[in-house]
Amino acid sequence: MAEATLLSLVLYLPILGIAILVALPAGAGKAIRGVTFWLMVVQFVLTLILYARFDPSAAGLQFETRVPWIAAWGVNYHIALDGYNVLLVLLTAFLGPLVVAGAFTAVDKDVKLFYAMVLLIQFAMMGTFLVQDLFVFYLFWETMLIPMFLLIGIWGGERRIYATLKFVLYTAFGSILMLAAVIYLVWAQYKATGAMSFEFADLYKSQLPVDAQVLLFAAFALSFAIKVPAVPLHTWLPDAHVEAPTTGSVILAGVLLKMGTYGFMKLGFPLFPEAARMAMPIVMVIAVISIVYGACLALVQDDIKKIIAYSSISHLGYVMLGLASLDIIGIQGAVIQMVSHGLTAAGLFLLVGMIYERCHTRALDAYGGIAKLMPVYSVFFVILTLASVGLPTTSGFTGEFLVLLGAFTSSWTLHLAGDDLPMVMSAIAVSGVILGALYMLRLAAKFLFGESRAPHMPLTDLDVREKAIMATLVVAIFWMGLAPDSFMRKTEVASRQFQQLVAAKSTATQRSAAPAAVAPQAQAQQPTAGSVR
Amino acid sequence: MSWQTVFSAMLPEHLLLLGMIAILVIDVASRKPAGATALSLLAVTAAACAAFLSYANGFSADAFPGHFSISPAASLGKAVVLAMAIPVVLMSRDDFFDDPRFAVLMLSSLYGFCLMLSSDSFLTLFLGLELMSVPVYVLVLIAFQRPESAEAALKYLVLGGVATAMFLMGASLLYGRGGSLALSAFVQGLGSSAPLAIVGVTMVLIAFFLKAALVPFHAWAPDAYEAASVPVTAYMATIVKAGVLLAVLRLFGSAEANGYLVGLLVALPLISIVWGNLTAMKQASFRRMIAYSSIAHAGYLFYAFLGAPEGRYEAIVFYVIAYGLLNLLAFACLPGNDDDVARDRLDNLKGLFHRQPYAALMIGIAMLSLAGIPPFPGFVGKFLIFKNVMAAGYTTYAVLGLLGSYLGIYFYLRVIQFMFMSADAPAGSQRPVGGMAIGASVLCLAATTVLSLFPGLVIGRL
Repeated sequence: MAEATLLSLVLYLPILGIAILVALPAGAGKAIRGVTFWLMVVQFVLTLILYARFDPSAAGLQFETRVPWIAAWGVNYHIALDGYNVLLVLLTAFLGPLVVAGAFTAVDKDVKLFYAMVLLIQFAMMGTFLVQDLFVFYLFWETMLIPMFLLIGIWGGERRIYATLKFVLYTAFGSILMLAAVIYLVWAQYKATGAMSFEFADLYKSQLPVDAQVLLFAAFALSFAIKVPAVPLHTWLPDAHVEAPTTGSVILAGVLLKMGTYGFMKLGFPLFPEAARMAMPIVMVIAVISIVYGACLALVQDDIKKIIAYSSISHLGYVMLGLASLDIIGIQGAVIQMVSHGLTAAGLFLLVGMIYERCHTRALDAYGGIAKLMPVYSVFFVILTLASVGLPTTSGFTGEFLVLLGAFTSSWTLHLAGDDLPMVMSAIAVSGVILGALYMLRLAAKFLFGESRAPHMPLTDLDVREKAIMATLVVAIFWMGLAPDSFMRKTEVASRQFQQLVAAKSTATQRSAAPAAVAPQAQAQQPTAGSVR
Repeated sequence: MSWQTVFSAMLPEHLLLLGMIAILVIDVASRKPAGATALSLLAVTAAACAAFLSYANGFSADAFPGHFSISPAASLGKAVVLAMAIPVVLMSRDDFFDDPRFAVLMLSSLYGFCLMLSSDSFLTLFLGLELMSVPVYVLVLIAFQRPESAEAALKYLVLGGVATAMFLMGASLLYGRGGSLALSAFVQGLGSSAPLAIVGVTMVLIAFFLKAALVPFHAWAPDAYEAASVPVTAYMATIVKAGVLLAVLRLFGSAEANGYLVGLLVALPLISIVWGNLTAMKQASFRRMIAYSSIAHAGYLFYAFLGAPEGRYEAIVFYVIAYGLLNLLAFACLPGNDDDVARDRLDNLKGLFHRQPYAALMIGIAMLSLAGIPPFPGFVGKFLIFKNVMAAGYTTYAVLGLLGSYLGIYFYLRVIQFMFMSADAPAGSQRPVGGMAIGASVLCLAATTVLSLFPGLVIGRL
């Protein structure tokens, strides 16, 4: 019970923060920053306590709060931690203080509104991860749009209006179809059972005909794929990233993009298992295209932010591939990859923000030999580059390796069943690792080494605040790389649940499922070897 | 039926009438008339309370059998709309400075509205509809600040007259068919496939489409909304629209939409949604934009009639509340300006956040809610309507309607973009929002907050 209260506190701390900010005068920049930062720190500490108390062996929801909200529709305000969201909640809370600290010197316009929006988006993201009720999920999901719209639109670069409208209009289009699907799903469930409920747990049990499932899955998948973003729905991302202020980019890359993959994992696949299995080959192909195409695009950019933006598309392709493999190792890898990408991309965007504050340009050609000018900065940059590439001992390696391992394991079974497409796709996905090394090392080489030049000389190296931010991130990255076990144990039960939800129902409806779907189901029934590593 | 029952059945109407008389008497009697705003505020509040009390007590009576009856549902409708008139009265203070003409005309329009919600026959319905509309023609013209106002008022008058004629023709056809003036003749007409009935029903509906400004009967709305002064536009966009929809609700009763009606109830609202949302994108005037937005919202509201009869009342009342509150919030916070045209320019809202942060935030919230973005009540209202439409089996139409609503997101965000993201426009003669208007906005904001946080208070209880 105490933990449930704590969880509510974690969720509502940002709202408390907004209330305090409203009371503060607009000119009190220092106080505003301080309040926001310390609230975020408290939120992280509380989340850490919850994380420590989270029981990895228990299936299902923990630290629940459940209150009827709209009784007539069976809508509950229902928040809880589970294996699906626990790591992402931790990631969100972890990045919160870093995001705020990273913005200390960068933002001097409408400071009060800025931090209020940072707090609001923190609240909305936490809420989206925590809720266990589809209606409230949709509320939080959409609420995320508003602060991001303002963050990019007010504090962004030159083409900020274009970028922010593109972001909102893309996302809203997916959402509106998802809304139609939500209504249909709940109504169909109501007609079948006589009780109206938006609870995830109830909706997992729905038995929809396959043709309806396909349409509903398509609607959900579109919404999530835009958020991920998967090629070809990715075009909003580079614009949003380039125009967004550092804070916006960090939140976007760190947490917001995970909403899409989390949505697939929590809702898209398990709600419509048959349709999901039929679509698995398509999902896989799209994931691999995202990996390779994103990487290729990253290779030719001359804007540093764009390189990282396209690398995000590539990295999230791995997450999709891991989920689509329906192999326990792959799924676990996908979850680790989500968190890992959150850390590395956030770190890289913060670093880009720091150099941008000093030199006011992001053009790669303008820089060279930063390693000599800013040695500490460069050390961090190299570490994050290598983590992004997936060097062993960093979190990036754990994620990518497990995803590929999972993808190959499941492809092998399918290969024996006579379906070679997944094998081919997995093989192509490996090339993403090499491409990743190529574009990141090209960036590091041009940026850090060679002839020393920068638009503004002399450059001051990182100050204490910046060092502290980056050091925190680097510790987390190595921790996840060296001891991924502790993280993976927390999500293992949920990964198995996910696997079973998507794969299990097929015995009843095997005829309707695509041939490709048969094998993962067979695999789900064979016991997977103990620990995933 | 005792006279007390008859009296209390019409209590909200009586209170409004009392207010009108008091204002007129004071206007005539005293040399320096004052207090019109206070008196009309008092009358409206008292009437709203009376209506709410009779709803809370479940009071129902057939006061004038066959013509006028009162039921809890009708009382609630009256209470809701009369309560929404309170912010209108408050914000009128800054534009009309206690002008007794405004107060009297608005009260009589509200009287017509109340009459309409209690009507049982075409006769009372017609009386109510006209009593509600005629004062508004005058109200459009009353703040005569630019020549276009006259043109717009005339346009509104003529098209309103067409609607009246349509209504009378349709009603008389239905009377000719069934020999009854009771509203049930409409429901009987719905079920019949006789040409006379079809024409009658369609004509009556078209009259209401005209009043609600549904495409292609919408042409008067942008002009009238733009030409009227801000409180009058707010009144037209919220209360008149609510009145028309609640009147149609009364007509439809518990009848299912079927046959050709489904076509009519899909095609016109859908076209309105798409057309309203598309046209609003390019507007340079705030009130014109709201006019097109209200055309789209009329589309959503008429969509509700596709749903099962049991859910309609709830869907429409909730939507009317959500839509009305947020519109009023936006209008209340529209900064004043000595130049009425300049007040209206969207360009003049640029950088408003830096000049008047409260007003900008409130207009922003209103825009988000009107766009149907959660967590604001506009979303729940839309959800309710499309849920009912889908539950009635019209999945495709619901999806089309939702896609239409997607088109509307851009122009609402554009207003936010202007206020928060654009370079500051010169303030010119822009004034801060007046004290009374702030009061009105606080009322709307409080109600909005309650509706956002606890929609369960309303949903499932209507």
